[in-house]
Amino acid sequence: MRAHTSALTKGLTLAAGLTLILAACSGGSGGGSDKSGSAGLTSCTTQGKANTCNGGTTKSGGSFTYVLEKNIQQWNVQDVNGNTFENAEALEVVLPQVFVPQPDLSVALNTDLVTSATQTSSSPQTIVYKINPKASWNDGTPISADDFIYYWRTNNGKDCPPPPSSDATQTKGCLPQSTAGYDRIKSLTASDNGKTVTMVMSKPYSDWKSLFGAGYPLYPAHVAEKISGAKTGDAAHMTAAQMTAGWQYFQKNPPTKYATAGAYKMSEWADNDHATYVPDPKWWGAKKASLKRLVFKVISDATQEPIALKNNEVQGIYPQPEVDLVNQVKDIPNVTYVIGNGLTWEHFDLNLHNPVIGKYTALRQAMFTAISVKDIIAKTVGQFDPSVKALGNHNFVPGQAGYQDVVSGTGQGSGDLTKAKKYLTDAKFTGVGSALKTPDGKSVGPFNCRYTTGNQIRQSECQILQSDLANLGIKVTIKPIGAADLGTVLAGHQYDIIVFAWVAPPFPTSGAQQNWYTGGGGNYGGYSDKKVDALIAQAIGETDQTKAASLLNQADQIMTDAAYVLPLYQKPTFLAVQTRYVNMRNNATNVGPAYNTGEWGLKK
Amino acid sequence: MLAYTVRRILVSIPVLVVSTFVVFLVVVNSGDPVANFATSRQPAPSKAAVAAFARHIHADQPVMERYWHWITGVLHGDFGPSVQSNLDIGHDLFTRFRVTVTLVASAMVIALLLAVVFGVFSAIRQYSAADYAITFVGFLFLAMPVFWFAVLLKQAGIWFNEQTGSQFLGTIGEKSPYLEVDTTWNEFTDRLGHLVLPTITLALVSFASWTRYTRASMLEVLGSDYVRLARAKGLRRRTVLVRHALRTALIPLATVTALDIAIILGGAVITETIFQWHGMGEMLVQSAQAVDVYRTMAWLLLSAVVVIGFNLLADLLYAVLDPRIRYD
Repeated sequence: MRAHTSALTKGLTLAAGLTLILAACSGGSGGGSDKSGSAGLTSCTTQGKANTCNGGTTKSGGSFTYVLEKNIQQWNVQDVNGNTFENAEALEVVLPQVFVPQPDLSVALNTDLVTSATQTSSSPQTIVYKINPKASWNDGTPISADDFIYYWRTNNGKDCPPPPSSDATQTKGCLPQSTAGYDRIKSLTASDNGKTVTMVMSKPYSDWKSLFGAGYPLYPAHVAEKISGAKTGDAAHMTAAQMTAGWQYFQKNPPTKYATAGAYKMSEWADNDHATYVPDPKWWGAKKASLKRLVFKVISDATQEPIALKNNEVQGIYPQPEVDLVNQVKDIPNVTYVIGNGLTWEHFDLNLHNPVIGKYTALRQAMFTAISVKDIIAKTVGQFDPSVKALGNHNFVPGQAGYQDVVSGTGQGSGDLTKAKKYLTDAKFTGVGSALKTPDGKSVGPFNCRYTTGNQIRQSECQILQSDLANLGIKVTIKPIGAADLGTVLAGHQYDIIVFAWVAPPFPTSGAQQNWYTGGGGNYGGYSDKKVDALIAQAIGETDQTKAASLLNQADQIMTDAAYVLPLYQKPTFLAVQTRYVNMRNNATNVGPAYNTGEWGLKK
Repeated sequence: MLAYTVRRILVSIPVLVVSTFVVFLVVVNSGDPVANFATSRQPAPSKAAVAAFARHIHADQPVMERYWHWITGVLHGDFGPSVQSNLDIGHDLFTRFRVTVTLVASAMVIALLLAVVFGVFSAIRQYSAADYAITFVGFLFLAMPVFWFAVLLKQAGIWFNEQTGSQFLGTIGEKSPYLEVDTTWNEFTDRLGHLVLPTITLALVSFASWTRYTRASMLEVLGSDYVRLARAKGLRRRTVLVRHALRTALIPLATVTALDIAIILGGAVITETIFQWHGMGEMLVQSAQAVDVYRTMAWLLLSAVVVIGFNLLADLLYAVLDPRIRYD
C-alpha cells in the first residue's frame, strides 16, 4: 500500500513485466496489425508516407480519448512556465498557428489561418502574411493583424518586460519562453483592413517560419484588450501593464473561458483529469471535425496506458517506448502502432571544466572513438526498435533538410580501439590500455559517468562506456543522479561524462545557439570556439535556409573534431491507436500527434 | 475525557512545529529546483526568467526566513508557492485528500468487516479446515505485493468487461470523462465501477493483516478467566462471544486500524498510481521529485494532523471499549 519512490519504481517495472507474462499466458492472439486491410500506422515508416499514413475518410460521430501524460497547470504556452508538451498539445486543438511542424519534420503553412506567408525582400528581410478572409475567433471577432501585433509585443522581451526584481509573484511582467526572432522584428504593419500583416526585421532571421506558431499558437488579442481595459483592436498601443494582465489571464484560464479558433472548442476542463472538446460550429476551415467528442485524458504513469487502451478507456496513447510496454501493445487486438524516430536525441557529454578532459583534445577524441554506438543501440533501444541508427549530427536529425553525417567520418562512436589508442600515443599519453597517464605524467581519471536514476537504458549506456574506456586504461565509475537533481548536476558541472537527451527544435539555428554558442543556455560543458560562434551567428541571420544549414554543418564539423558531445541516436517515439480510427500520425516534433486533431475520426 | 483530549491536542502543536521544521530542512536541502528549472526546459529560460522563478519560490531567501514565512502563511490559509506555476497548493491538497478519502473509506470499511468476521470465525474454529483456509488466504494477501495484485485485478477486470460486453469496471481514475447517456444512475454505476478494483486491492491487503490481529486477540480473550467464568455461569455461547469476548478482543484492533488508516490517508501510493487516482500519494511523489518544498510541506502537515488525530482517536476508543480505562 505504501512505498517509497524507489520501491514504487521497481514495483511498477516488475508489474509491467508481470503483466506481460499474464498477457502471454492468456494466449491473446490479438496482434497489432489491422485486420481490415488498411496499413494503419505501420505504413508511417515508409519513406514519404509520414504525413499521409493511416489516412482515410471519416464518418460523423464517435468519441476518441487520447492520453496526456501530465496535468496542465498553466495555460499560456508562450510563457516560460507554461511551455510544456502537454500544454502545446491541448492548445493546438483550439488555437491557430501560422506554420505547423509535420510528422516528416518539415513545417507546413496553416492555410486555414493564412493563405500565404511570403518573404518579399531579404534586405531588410520582409515577410508578408495574408490572413484567410474567413478566419475568425468563435465569438465572431475576425482574426487580424492585431492578434499578430499582440503576440509580437508580448514576446519581444521589450514592450512587456520581465517582472522587476522587487516582484516575487511573477505577475508583473511577461516571461516568454523565448524572445528569439521576435526581438528582431522592427515593425508589424496592418493593411487590407487588418487582413494583411507586413513584418520587417531589424536583423535577418533564418527561422522566421517559427514565428507566430510552430507549437506556440496565437491567443485572441481582443480578449486581452477587453480584460485589461485597453482599446479594442489596438494592441500596438497597449501598455506593459495591460499586456501583463492579458498574459496572466491566459496563464490562469483554460480555453473554455475565452474565444478560440479551431475545428473543436474545449467544452470542459477537469483539472488533473481530462479536457473535453466538441466540434465548433463556427469553424471556417476546410476540414470539419467529425468526432462527436474528443477527450484528452491525464494518465501520469505510462505503464498504465496499455491497460487503459486494452480496456477501451482510451483509444490513443503516445508514451515513451519501453520493451515491456511495446510488447503489451502488440498483444492488444485491433490496435495499430508505430515506433518512429523523433527530434529527441541521446548523447554523451564531456565536461570541459574538468582540467584533464578540457585540456586534451586527443584524449576526448580517443574516448569518443573507443565508444561503440552500434553496441549501445543493440543493447538498449535496438531491442524493441531495430531501425534505430547512430546519429551523425548535433543540429539536424535524418529527415530534416540539412542533415549531414559529420560524425562517423571522424571515427567517433565507431568503437575502433586501434584508432583510439593511436590518438593517445600520438599525443604522448602513457599507460594506454592499462593505466592511462597524461604526457606530463598525471593520471587520467577515474571519471564518473552520470545518468538519471531509474533510467535502465542510460545505466546500460554508462556501463558500455565504462567497458569501452577501460580498454584505453581509463577507469569510469557510474554515478546515478537523483530524479530531481539533473538540473543541479548540469548547471553545477557536477559530472565528467553525462548521458541525457535534448529535444531538437524543428528550427535548428536557435537550438545551435542554445547548445554550442559560448555561454549558451544549454552549453553546460563549457564549450567555446570563436569560429563556431561566428558561424552560428551567421546562420541565424541567413535568410537562405540552405546556406544557413551549410553554415551550421561547418560549425558542427569544427565542434565534432573537438569531441565535446557524442550524439548516440534519435530516441524512439511510440504511437498506438485503435484501428477503427484514422488520420492519427506520429508527429515526433514539439507539437506531437495532436497537430491535426481536426482530421481525426472514425474510419468510414 | 474532554480535558484529556484538549491536553493531547495542545501537546501535538509543538510536535507538529518540530516535525515540520525538520522536514523543511531536509526537503530544502534535497535538491535545487532553480537549477532544474534552468536546465529542464527547451529553449533554456532567460536569466530574468530564472531569477523570477527563484524569487517566486523564495529560493533567494535564507532557510529560516522561508520557514517562518511558510508557517505564518499556513496560519492564514496560504500554503506558499509551488514550483508549478499557477498551482494553488491549498486547493490541490484538499482536492487530493478528498480523492484519497473516497478511495480509502470504502476499502477500510470492507476490510474491517471482513477482518472481524473471519478473524473471530478463525479463532472459534481454531485448527479447523476453515481456520487453516483463512490463515492461508491471509498470509497469501500479506505476501502478495500490492503492485502485482493490482495489475492482476486490472487484467481480471478487463476479462470481466470482455465477457459481459460492458465497460462496467474502470481501470483508471475515479470516473469516466463522459457518459453517453448522462443520468444520475449512470453516473453512480460509473463511479462504482471505477471504485471496485482499487477498493478490492486496498481492502484485501488490509484485511490480511487485521484478520490476524483479530484472530490472535480473540484467542487470547477466549482463554481468559472471565470468559471461562461466563461460560461456567451458563451464559449462552452467543452472549459470551459477542458481549464478553468480542468487545475486549476489538481493543487492539481498534488501535491498529486507527493508525493504519491514518498512514494510508497520507497516500496509498501504489494503488493510487496504478489506478490513476490523483490523491495524496501522487502528490507526495510529484512534490518530492520536483523538490517542491511548500507542496511537500503541505502534504506533510495534513498527514501529520491526520496521524495525530487518529492516534488520539485510537486512545479514546480504548476508553470507550475498555471500561477499566479512564482518562482524567
